[in-house]
Amino acid sequence: MHTTRIETKHYPKESKLTDHSLMPPCQAACPLHMDIREYVDLVAQGKIMEALQVIRSTNPFPSICAYVCTHACEDACRRCQVDSAVSIKAIKRFALEFGGDRMIQAEAKTTHAEKVAIVGSGPAGLACAYYLRNMGYEVTVFEAHSEIGGMLRVGIPQYRLPREVLDIEEQRLIQMGVEIRTNTRVVSLDLLFEMGYKAVFITIGAHQSLRMGIEGEESAGVIDGATFLREVNLGLKPSLGNKVAVVGGGNVAIDAARTALRLGSSDVTILYRRTRTEMPAAETEISQALEEDIRIEFLSAPVKVQRESNQLKVTCIKMELGESDEKGRRRPVPIEGSEYYATFDSVITAIGQTPQNAAEFGVRTGRGSTIQVDPQTLITNKVGVFAGGDAVTGPATVVEALAAGKRAAKRIDDYAQHRYPLDKDGVAAMDGELSSHTVEKIRKIERLEPPVTSSKKRAKDFKPVEQVYNWQSATNEARRCLRCGMGAEILFQDKCASCLTCLRVCPYDVPYVDESGTIHIPSEQCQACGICIAECPAKAIVMRKPSSYLHINDELEHAIRSFSKSEFKPSIIGFCCQYGLFGTGTLANLWRGAKAGIWIVPVLCVAKIEPGHILRAFELGAEGVFIAGCGEQCARENTNMWIGQRSAKVRKALDEIGLEQERLTIFNTGEQNGELTNKLDEFTETISRLFLASVLMQEVKR
Amino acid sequence: MIVAEPKPLDAIRQMIAPYSKVLIVGCGTCVTVCGAGGEREVSFLHDKLRLAQAKNPDSIHNYFEYTVKRQCDPEFIDLLDAKTEGVDAIISLACGIGVQAIAEHFPDIPVLPGVNTTFNGMASEYGVWDERCATCGDCCLDETGGICPITRCTKGILNGPCAGPKNGKCEVSKDMDCAWMLIYQRLERLGQMDKMRRYYPARNYQAVPRPRRIVVKSNVAAGEENA
Repeated sequence: MHTTRIETKHYPKESKLTDHSLMPPCQAACPLHMDIREYVDLVAQGKIMEALQVIRSTNPFPSICAYVCTHACEDACRRCQVDSAVSIKAIKRFALEFGGDRMIQAEAKTTHAEKVAIVGSGPAGLACAYYLRNMGYEVTVFEAHSEIGGMLRVGIPQYRLPREVLDIEEQRLIQMGVEIRTNTRVVSLDLLFEMGYKAVFITIGAHQSLRMGIEGEESAGVIDGATFLREVNLGLKPSLGNKVAVVGGGNVAIDAARTALRLGSSDVTILYRRTRTEMPAAETEISQALEEDIRIEFLSAPVKVQRESNQLKVTCIKMELGESDEKGRRRPVPIEGSEYYATFDSVITAIGQTPQNAAEFGVRTGRGSTIQVDPQTLITNKVGVFAGGDAVTGPATVVEALAAGKRAAKRIDDYAQHRYPLDKDGVAAMDGELSSHTVEKIRKIERLEPPVTSSKKRAKDFKPVEQVYNWQSATNEARRCLRCGMGAEILFQDKCASCLTCLRVCPYDVPYVDESGTIHIPSEQCQACGICIAECPAKAIVMRKPSSYLHINDELEHAIRSFSKSEFKPSIIGFCCQYGLFGTGTLANLWRGAKAGIWIVPVLCVAKIEPGHILRAFELGAEGVFIAGCGEQCARENTNMWIGQRSAKVRKALDEIGLEQERLTIFNTGEQNGELTNKLDEFTETISRLFLASVLMQEVKR
Repeated sequence: MIVAEPKPLDAIRQMIAPYSKVLIVGCGTCVTVCGAGGEREVSFLHDKLRLAQAKNPDSIHNYFEYTVKRQCDPEFIDLLDAKTEGVDAIISLACGIGVQAIAEHFPDIPVLPGVNTTFNGMASEYGVWDERCATCGDCCLDETGGICPITRCTKGILNGPCAGPKNGKCEVSKDMDCAWMLIYQRLERLGQMDKMRRYYPARNYQAVPRPRRIVVKSNVAAGEENA
């Protein structure tokens, strides 16, 4: 006889499968690398508290981001290729509002002797304080103004970020044990070191407006954007007059214009020297400003300001776009002889900002007075002095500042603990576009914008412009997520029999065979519907994120444990699609545990239910099983057909075993609620009848 | 590829009635592809048997499952050695070859067929299998335009069509194409109608002595095998 030459390979047990999911483009684009796919998916399932936990785990101040984030994630969202991006920011805002993000942060324990001073309490400083305090450092934040928040407080208008949000975050930090010293301007770093601080993090922001460098800039009635916003935000009410010009095209310019409008100036004009395409301000901000009847004059720049009889006579020149600069933006070129005049009551300049007096700290500064730091260690030319945020990068977004603070916290920790500063390699990112072939097959669902206050109403006060989703809109919007990078993969190529089942069943035609006969499921095309996984005869395919699949077993066990303790008979198990269950009130209709022993097993799309799951429910004591899918409302394709096929297979098996086929049925949660209720009642009755009959039969046998 | 279909559950339950510890063995090749005996079907049978036992607790069995890469090779069956300790019977979900290979390997354990090995065929679409080859050992596809009359003609005649076909369909079933009509059309298309006009003598069934064996070993002249 031959001897064994084949080693036994042990495949991991289903429950031991590890997460192979790839980083989706939204997460890769987010400066904080928030686990966006995960929390969007949790919102889609109606698990708001869990979503909130995920949001909190990667973002120190999510409630701030929920209002003012520039959402790079939505720009990277691949749903753009199908219809339009998932409304991630609004979903996050919904989770925070409905999840009640008012929880108290427990005080962090001090585990390190080193103390850290943070100069400036903008988003970068606060994020750094948050993380360092969590790591166990004693942290003091020094703020020159009377209130913390930096640009969040003095730069961003209230209609974009309500101040309560900032106050709550401040309280949270204080609760954690961060010491906050307002009205304290730091004049000497050496003094801080003398006071016993081991490291200093400078995040003084960029509060100094750039000058236009034109004649008459010093005239009364010309004010710079940063100063103007600061005054308004700190409670002053500068009188601007009726006719206001704002110079610039960034977010500060738009903020200044909209703030001026809210202060009562009825005629606000923005002068921008390029066109709308080049405008650096966020697209929604621009369109909202236009809705509020703010005029934007493109390709126009002031060249001279004269004070004449209590008004400002502004000489402007028309521009045309010339060559591209090194950033790819086309340079504006003045058109000779195109000067024209306009009169305004006030002119607000908002053409950029730089850090204020950064050189005073004795750190090396570079272009635009920004502080120069080592890109890896974030340390300046002075030992123990780190810097980050706008002070280093020049004006940037809130989320970039938060990310800078988070990174600085890690680097300061490395420095204090004498570690080599290394970023750990994260999860591999998924790259690649959706092919036009796949896009064609993805069901189109239009993006649902969160409601906004009408432009007439909102222009009068500083109340938030964007409103929150209701429960149904939020879950439906979250269901649009394509779940990039967590789809199917052939984990066990050696088990794969190249039977082509996956290739034949995929509703999106994603799997393909290469010349060698090996089947591939390209991660960037897979839509994570799970059909191939449930159909693969070799069980060689798994979800990259196995938990979304395996939890069916856990939920089933849980339901069975519950009903074995319950006195309600007969026991009925309902496998229900968890997406959309909550928004539609369907759950309330299905969950009537007291009326009959109905127990719900939530599944993430019924396409993931295998015949084995249903048989197992019966084996463990269910008298009847129903499957409730979303039917035509499903965000995926073909799920109905597949669940129909699998049910047919199970019914045949039930018949073979001697159980009635009526014990398994399929509902459609998309139906009218009344109709669904009737059907469920009918089904419950049938099962009760069968149950009674079987009990009687047993009695007779005895 | 070999195509099989699951035996009715009742038949399997009757077979295993006398045994308590039962190992269900799948095969990762043909029966996986045709959905009759791969890892998924092994666990589906396992689930069905357990449910049947739960609903009808007359006889108690312990079930275990395992799927090997290919049951028709002894090296792969070696992997079962560790799994068969104390096993009273093995249900093989492979074709008849696999069942026999396992039986040969474990002379002391009864091996039971879990599927009916049905034919050699191909998938014409997802979930549909059609017979294509009767493994007669005397291939004549060159003469018949690549369409096998032995397999695809109900009568298996070599000089067709018979008088039965109507509108290109076999008299046995309206859904079944007449193989000889297909052969005719194909030969016409290939410009080989002369092959249609030829007479084929009866086949020599003596050419197929069973069981057949093929020895493919190079560099070994006949009679030198044991030298």
